[in-house]
Amino acid sequence: MSRSSRAVVTFSNQVKRGELFSIRAIVQHDMESGFRHTEQGVRVPRDIIREFVCTYNGRPVFRADLHPGIGSNPVFIFDAKADQSGVIECRWSGDNDYLTVLQQPITVL
Amino acid sequence: MSSRRLFISSMTAICLSPWHRAQASTSDAQQVISKIIGNQSVKTGRIYFELPPLVENGNLVAVKCAVQSPMTANDYVKVIHMIAEGNPLPNVVSCYFTPLSGKAEFSTRIRLADSQRVWVLAQMSNGEFWRTSADTVVTLSACTEMI
Repeated sequence: MSRSSRAVVTFSNQVKRGELFSIRAIVQHDMESGFRHTEQGVRVPRDIIREFVCTYNGRPVFRADLHPGIGSNPVFIFDAKADQSGVIECRWSGDNDYLTVLQQPITVL
Repeated sequence: MSSRRLFISSMTAICLSPWHRAQASTSDAQQVISKIIGNQSVKTGRIYFELPPLVENGNLVAVKCAVQSPMTANDYVKVIHMIAEGNPLPNVVSCYFTPLSGKAEFSTRIRLADSQRVWVLAQMSNGEFWRTSADTVVTLSACTEMI
Protein backbone atom coordinates (compact mmCIF):
# COMPACT_ATOMS: atom_id res chain seq x y z
CA MET A 1 0.00 0.00 0.00
CA SER A 2 1.60 3.22 -1.08
CA ARG A 3 1.39 6.54 0.70
CA SER A 4 -0.02 9.53 -1.10
CA SER A 5 -1.03 13.09 -0.31
CA ARG A 6 -3.01 16.03 -1.57
CA ALA A 7 -1.92 17.49 -4.88
CA VAL A 8 -3.20 20.34 -7.03
CA VAL A 9 -2.47 20.81 -10.73
CA THR A 10 -3.70 23.99 -12.39
CA PHE A 11 -3.77 25.04 -16.04
CA SER A 12 -6.36 26.76 -18.20
CA ASN A 13 -8.80 24.05 -19.23
CA GLN A 14 -9.37 25.45 -22.75
CA VAL A 15 -6.34 26.22 -24.88
CA LYS A 16 -5.97 27.10 -28.56
CA ARG A 17 -4.12 24.60 -30.73
CA GLY A 18 -0.41 25.37 -31.07
CA GLU A 19 -0.35 27.72 -28.10
CA LEU A 20 1.79 27.30 -25.02
CA PHE A 21 0.07 26.98 -21.69
CA SER A 22 1.51 27.03 -18.22
CA ILE A 23 1.07 24.10 -15.80
CA ARG A 24 1.45 24.58 -12.07
CA ALA A 25 1.80 21.41 -9.99
CA ILE A 26 2.01 21.44 -6.22
CA VAL A 27 1.93 18.53 -3.79
CA GLN A 28 1.81 18.29 -0.02
CA HIS A 29 5.06 16.76 1.29
CA ASP A 30 7.48 17.53 4.13
CA MET A 31 10.57 16.73 2.04
CA GLU A 32 12.50 15.68 5.15
CA SER A 33 16.07 16.38 4.08
CA GLY A 34 17.89 13.78 6.18
CA PHE A 35 20.27 16.47 7.48
CA ARG A 36 18.22 17.50 10.49
CA HIS A 37 18.63 16.19 14.04
CA THR A 38 16.26 15.92 16.98
CA GLU A 39 17.18 17.57 20.28
CA GLN A 40 18.59 14.20 21.41
CA GLY A 41 21.02 14.32 18.48
CA VAL A 42 19.33 11.56 16.51
CA ARG A 43 19.35 12.15 12.76
CA VAL A 44 15.91 12.28 11.17
CA PRO A 45 15.94 9.86 8.22
CA ARG A 46 15.53 11.20 4.72
CA ASP A 47 12.00 11.05 3.31
CA ILE A 48 11.59 12.98 0.07
CA ILE A 49 9.87 12.84 -3.28
CA ARG A 50 12.44 11.55 -5.77
CA GLU A 51 10.76 12.09 -9.08
CA PHE A 52 8.06 14.19 -10.67
CA VAL A 53 6.77 13.31 -14.13
CA CYS A 54 4.16 15.12 -16.23
CA THR A 55 2.73 13.47 -19.32
CA TYR A 56 0.29 14.79 -21.92
CA ASN A 57 -1.76 11.95 -23.47
CA GLY A 58 1.00 9.58 -22.41
CA ARG A 59 3.82 11.63 -23.97
CA PRO A 60 6.42 13.11 -21.60
CA VAL A 61 6.33 16.90 -21.19
CA PHE A 62 8.41 17.55 -18.11
CA ARG A 63 10.34 15.43 -15.64
CA ALA A 64 12.30 16.42 -12.57
CA ASP A 65 14.71 14.53 -10.31
CA LEU A 66 14.30 15.97 -6.83
CA HIS A 67 16.96 16.10 -4.13
CA PRO A 68 16.78 17.27 -0.49
CA GLY A 69 17.52 20.79 -1.73
CA ILE A 70 13.91 21.17 -2.84
CA GLY A 71 11.68 22.90 -0.30
CA SER A 72 8.70 21.28 1.40
CA ASN A 73 5.48 21.06 -0.61
CA PRO A 74 7.31 21.08 -3.94
CA VAL A 75 5.96 23.34 -6.67
CA PHE A 76 6.82 23.15 -10.35
CA ILE A 77 5.64 25.66 -12.89
CA PHE A 78 6.44 24.80 -16.50
CA ASP A 79 4.96 24.99 -19.98
CA ALA A 80 3.47 22.63 -22.53
CA LYS A 81 2.42 23.02 -26.13
CA ALA A 82 -1.27 22.37 -26.85
CA ASP A 83 -1.78 20.04 -29.82
CA GLN A 84 -4.67 17.72 -28.94
CA SER A 85 -7.40 17.36 -26.34
CA GLY A 86 -6.78 14.73 -23.74
CA VAL A 87 -5.41 14.17 -20.28
CA ILE A 88 -2.56 15.76 -18.37
CA GLU A 89 -1.15 13.33 -15.82
CA CYS A 90 1.17 14.32 -12.99
CA ARG A 91 2.95 11.66 -10.97
CA TRP A 92 5.09 12.14 -7.88
CA SER A 93 7.03 9.18 -6.48
CA GLY A 94 9.45 8.97 -3.60
CA ASP A 95 10.81 7.33 -0.48
CA ASN A 96 8.78 4.88 1.65
CA ASP A 97 6.45 3.87 -1.19
CA TYR A 98 5.23 7.39 -1.77
CA LEU A 99 3.10 7.78 -4.90
CA THR A 100 0.59 10.42 -5.90
CA VAL A 101 -1.00 10.48 -9.36
CA LEU A 102 -3.36 13.15 -10.61
CA GLN A 103 -5.13 13.21 -13.98
CA GLN A 104 -6.93 16.20 -15.40
CA PRO A 105 -8.64 16.69 -18.76
CA ILE A 106 -7.62 19.41 -21.20
CA THR A 107 -9.64 20.73 -24.13
CA VAL A 108 -7.79 22.05 -27.16
CA LEU A 109 -9.85 24.29 -29.44
CA MET B 1 57.40 25.54 24.42
CA SER B 2 56.10 28.61 26.19
CA SER B 3 52.44 28.56 27.03
CA ARG B 4 51.86 31.65 24.90
CA ARG B 5 53.41 30.01 21.84
CA LEU B 6 51.44 26.82 22.54
CA PHE B 7 48.25 28.88 22.83
CA ILE B 8 48.88 30.66 19.52
CA SER B 9 49.72 27.48 17.65
CA SER B 10 46.71 25.61 19.02
CA MET B 11 44.36 28.46 18.16
CA THR B 12 45.78 28.50 14.64
CA ALA B 13 45.21 24.77 14.36
CA ILE B 14 41.59 25.20 15.49
CA CYS B 15 41.01 27.97 12.98
CA LEU B 16 42.42 25.96 10.11
CA SER B 17 40.75 22.63 10.93
CA PRO B 18 37.66 21.80 8.88
CA TRP B 19 35.33 21.70 11.85
CA HIS B 20 32.12 22.42 9.98
CA ARG B 21 31.89 19.63 7.43
CA ALA B 22 28.09 19.78 7.36
CA GLN B 23 28.27 21.88 4.19
CA ALA B 24 29.55 20.97 0.78
CA SER B 25 32.54 22.98 -0.34
CA THR B 26 33.12 24.65 -3.67
CA SER B 27 35.13 21.64 -4.80
CA ASP B 28 32.24 19.27 -3.99
CA ALA B 29 30.02 21.32 -6.26
CA GLN B 30 32.71 21.35 -8.96
CA GLN B 31 32.94 17.56 -8.66
CA VAL B 32 29.18 17.26 -9.17
CA ILE B 33 29.40 19.56 -12.20
CA SER B 34 32.32 17.67 -13.74
CA LYS B 35 30.49 14.38 -13.16
CA ILE B 36 27.57 15.71 -15.20
CA ILE B 37 29.58 17.20 -18.05
CA GLY B 38 32.31 14.54 -18.23
CA ASN B 39 35.17 15.77 -20.39
CA GLN B 40 33.09 18.09 -22.57
CA SER B 41 33.52 21.85 -22.65
CA VAL B 42 31.03 24.25 -21.08
CA LYS B 43 30.05 27.63 -22.46
CA THR B 44 28.85 30.46 -20.27
CA GLY B 45 25.57 32.26 -20.94
CA ARG B 46 22.30 31.57 -22.77
CA ILE B 47 20.56 30.77 -19.46
CA TYR B 48 18.30 33.15 -17.61
CA PHE B 49 18.45 32.43 -13.89
CA GLU B 50 16.40 34.32 -11.34
CA LEU B 51 17.62 33.95 -7.76
CA PRO B 52 16.83 36.61 -5.13
CA PRO B 53 20.09 38.34 -4.12
CA LEU B 54 19.01 38.54 -0.48
CA VAL B 55 17.09 35.66 1.08
CA GLU B 56 15.50 36.01 4.50
CA ASN B 57 14.55 32.37 4.96
CA GLY B 58 16.60 29.68 3.25
CA ASN B 59 13.84 27.08 3.65
CA LEU B 60 11.85 28.32 0.68
CA VAL B 61 13.60 30.29 -2.02
CA ALA B 62 11.66 30.88 -5.24
CA VAL B 63 13.84 30.40 -8.31
CA LYS B 64 13.19 30.56 -12.03
CA CYS B 65 15.27 29.18 -14.88
CA ALA B 66 14.89 29.64 -18.61
CA VAL B 67 17.02 28.71 -21.58
CA GLN B 68 16.56 30.22 -25.03
CA SER B 69 15.78 27.48 -27.50
CA PRO B 70 13.42 26.91 -30.44
CA MET B 71 12.33 23.59 -28.78
CA THR B 72 11.91 21.74 -32.08
CA ALA B 73 12.34 17.98 -32.51
CA ASN B 74 16.03 18.28 -33.36
CA ASP B 75 16.99 21.38 -31.35
CA TYR B 76 15.73 21.52 -27.79
CA VAL B 77 16.95 21.76 -24.22
CA LYS B 78 17.33 18.28 -22.78
CA VAL B 79 18.00 18.98 -19.13
CA ILE B 80 18.64 21.81 -16.68
CA HIS B 81 20.58 20.99 -13.50
CA MET B 82 20.72 23.25 -10.45
CA ILE B 83 23.72 22.94 -8.12
CA ALA B 84 24.14 24.81 -4.83
CA GLU B 85 27.73 25.10 -3.59
CA GLY B 86 26.90 25.69 0.05
CA ASN B 87 24.30 22.98 0.61
CA PRO B 88 25.12 19.68 2.37
CA LEU B 89 24.22 17.97 -0.91
CA PRO B 90 25.08 20.20 -3.88
CA ASN B 91 22.49 18.65 -6.22
CA VAL B 92 19.19 20.50 -5.95
CA VAL B 93 17.11 19.51 -8.94
CA SER B 94 17.45 18.23 -12.51
CA CYS B 95 14.63 19.08 -14.90
CA TYR B 96 14.19 17.23 -18.21
CA PHE B 97 12.35 18.77 -21.14
CA THR B 98 10.99 17.51 -24.45
CA PRO B 99 9.95 19.35 -27.64
CA LEU B 100 6.39 19.09 -26.30
CA SER B 101 7.38 21.40 -23.44
CA GLY B 102 7.39 24.26 -25.95
CA LYS B 103 9.62 26.34 -23.73
CA ALA B 104 12.62 25.40 -21.57
CA GLU B 105 11.52 27.19 -18.46
CA PHE B 106 10.58 26.21 -14.92
CA SER B 107 10.00 27.74 -11.50
CA THR B 108 10.29 25.99 -8.17
CA ARG B 109 11.25 26.57 -4.54
CA ILE B 110 14.59 25.43 -3.21
CA ARG B 111 16.42 25.28 0.14
CA LEU B 112 19.66 27.15 0.74
CA ALA B 113 21.84 26.26 3.74
CA ASP B 114 24.09 29.31 3.56
CA SER B 115 25.05 32.40 1.60
CA GLN B 116 26.49 30.92 -1.53
CA ARG B 117 26.76 30.67 -5.29
CA VAL B 118 24.18 28.59 -7.16
CA TRP B 119 25.04 27.11 -10.55
CA VAL B 120 22.69 26.27 -13.38
CA LEU B 121 23.88 23.84 -16.02
CA ALA B 122 21.92 23.17 -19.20
CA GLN B 123 22.43 20.43 -21.77
CA MET B 124 21.07 20.84 -25.28
CA SER B 125 19.77 18.00 -27.48
CA ASN B 126 23.08 18.05 -29.42
CA GLY B 127 25.03 17.45 -26.20
CA GLU B 128 26.31 21.02 -25.81
CA PHE B 129 26.62 22.37 -22.25
CA TRP B 130 25.92 25.90 -21.07
CA ARG B 131 26.14 27.30 -17.57
CA THR B 132 25.51 30.34 -15.46
CA SER B 133 25.63 31.17 -11.77
CA ALA B 134 24.15 33.58 -9.25
CA ASP B 135 25.22 34.62 -5.77
CA THR B 136 22.89 35.09 -2.85
CA VAL B 137 23.03 36.09 0.79
CA VAL B 138 20.95 33.97 3.19
CA THR B 139 20.10 35.36 6.62
CA LEU B 140 18.27 32.33 8.06
CA SER B 141 19.62 29.06 6.75
CA ALA B 142 17.73 25.85 6.04
CA CYS B 143 18.56 22.32 7.16
CA THR B 144 20.40 23.14 10.37
CA GLU B 145 17.57 23.67 12.82
CA MET B 146 16.62 21.10 15.48
CA ILE B 147 13.18 19.59 15.52
